[in-house]
Amino acid sequence: MQPPDRRNFLKNSLLSAAAALVPSGQLWAAQSASRRARSGSSARSPGIIDTNVNLFDWPFRALKYRDTKALVAKLKKHRIVEAWAGSFEALLSKDLNGVNARLAAECREHGPKFLIPFGSVNLAWPDWEEDVRRCHEIHRMPGLRIYPGYQPFDLDHPALETLVRMTAKRGLILQVVFAMEDPRVHHPLIDVRPVTFAPLVKTAKRAPHAKVELLHFPGQIRGDDLNHLKEFLALPNTVLDISRLEGNGAIARMLGSIQGLPSARVPADRIAFGSHAPFCPVETALLKLIESPLDASQLHAIMRDNARRLLPRA
Amino acid sequence: MRSLRCPKIDLGPDPMNPREFFINPADYGLPTRDELVAYRIWDNHFHGFASSNPIEQYERNNFFVERMGIERSIAQEVGGTLEKPFEPYPHDEAILKILDRDKDRLSGRTPIDPGFPDESCAKIEKWIRNGPCIGIKYLGSKKKGVTCSHPNNDPILRLAAELNVHVYVHTWLQVGGAPRRPGGGNRESESTPMDLAKLAQRFPQVPLICGHSGGDWELGVRAIRPCKNVLLEFAGSDPHSGMVEYAIRELGVDRLVWGGHGPSRSYATELGKVLDADISKADRMKIFGGNLRRICMPIFRKKGNARGTVICRNHNAPKPNKAATTVVRSLNG
Repeated sequence: MQPPDRRNFLKNSLLSAAAALVPSGQLWAAQSASRRARSGSSARSPGIIDTNVNLFDWPFRALKYRDTKALVAKLKKHRIVEAWAGSFEALLSKDLNGVNARLAAECREHGPKFLIPFGSVNLAWPDWEEDVRRCHEIHRMPGLRIYPGYQPFDLDHPALETLVRMTAKRGLILQVVFAMEDPRVHHPLIDVRPVTFAPLVKTAKRAPHAKVELLHFPGQIRGDDLNHLKEFLALPNTVLDISRLEGNGAIARMLGSIQGLPSARVPADRIAFGSHAPFCPVETALLKLIESPLDASQLHAIMRDNARRLLPRA
Repeated sequence: MRSLRCPKIDLGPDPMNPREFFINPADYGLPTRDELVAYRIWDNHFHGFASSNPIEQYERNNFFVERMGIERSIAQEVGGTLEKPFEPYPHDEAILKILDRDKDRLSGRTPIDPGFPDESCAKIEKWIRNGPCIGIKYLGSKKKGVTCSHPNNDPILRLAAELNVHVYVHTWLQVGGAPRRPGGGNRESESTPMDLAKLAQRFPQVPLICGHSGGDWELGVRAIRPCKNVLLEFAGSDPHSGMVEYAIRELGVDRLVWGGHGPSRSYATELGKVLDADISKADRMKIFGGNLRRICMPIFRKKGNARGTVICRNHNAPKPNKAATTVVRSLNG
């Protein structure tokens, strides 16, 4: 990635120009004035595409924003302009077609052109291929989301390659969820196994133009997984979301901008915004954009452009 | 608030300083840095020195302390490490110098191990009564498998009461075992919130902090609910929407403290938990620092640290440092 011409940004910023001209004690006032002119600046601030939300009820707790209408309002309050929505129902249900139909209807009712439904298929259930077809042809979904672990298969499942090829052929985005919550606090009745990443990398390499996004992927990886991540993100249509990148400056660290720390050195065009709302506070993902020292081009890429590249239409 | 010595982050030819932003938080429904500073955020759970290169890590992390407007950090490992709390640590001297240099922004707890009560009390004498630390950090005994409910803890808590210091206890409820149950996966010496509740009943006069919200906050809150001297810490567990409001309903806002758990966790992660809650600014300020200042005030006062007492009492936001300013650069350049 070319270093951004940050001096031009500074030059073009009225706020910064004003800051340079006023005595230092007045700079705070200048910034406050900028905040007061919120509506003006909001018009120029880019909206965010959230690639990782889920609708309906989390099976183990009544979430604060479980009501779709409330979730949509919450996301819009934080300048999310589009949200790719899966369904919590897909974790444990057997009737995936019913799950996907309800998801499509909910998105149409509460967030047309805002909530983009991502149906699910379960490789462990018979005739999952028909669910792919229905998601694409009947529900007009642009992508699918799978939840290995909750859905009883791992990424070494023999059908995974078929799924990746089917989604690639249909131009669908495949989102692979690596976790929903910390396994240390799972309900005792469930025993969700960790998701193994390596088989997905092998499969994706055999379908190199497939659009695949990793959701809630652990950022603090080392050793083989770090190398697998580099290999995976070297493919042309692959991204990961930020919802589980952890540690101060986690995004910058993933990019390799923080000297002295190990990094996967992921290019900025491979990271997408994902909040994992309503399970996680949307504020958490937003604050990661603030916390990491990111320049304008990196922010644009993560907040919007990388998702839009995968899914061109609004 | 005094500006910290901290590195710039190298983004290429033009390094970024901690107060430079290309995004205006207010445009995204978030508090600005000025507003974060005004919350007077005290980080109850700081692992800046937990590293094989603790000084380098601490200095590097200052970039984020400054950027996110953290007013004071309480380091969890001053005098020894969490792994070897009683062995001389080669970096102790350098850490002491930093504690003095950054005393306006940094305090420390010293780690002890209830598997060794005599050694623990000696350490408290050295690092709290006669040293700079302002609290006790409990880790689980790795050698003897003693949790915080064991009678070994009583002399430690009696000393804490005498010194009027609070005690931080790492707690978790890792699911596991056969049959699986919360806490069944804990390490042998890892305290549960239920262990802490037993200790709290024996020492109701000592302020205790239930670290990590007990690991599983829904159960941790229930475990400590009857113990009015136990505060719940939000730090070092995944962020769940609604967790802070739940804790307020069950415990009251005066029993909650906030920690960043950096640098291994993100300030973003931890701040998001509290910002998710629909609560008043006054309540947010209590969680972000007011409650911790309340329980820290006696030890600051005892140490004759007049400034510390002022720090604990003053609920007004500090004046911004005129020399160091926040700049929001254009995102549309």
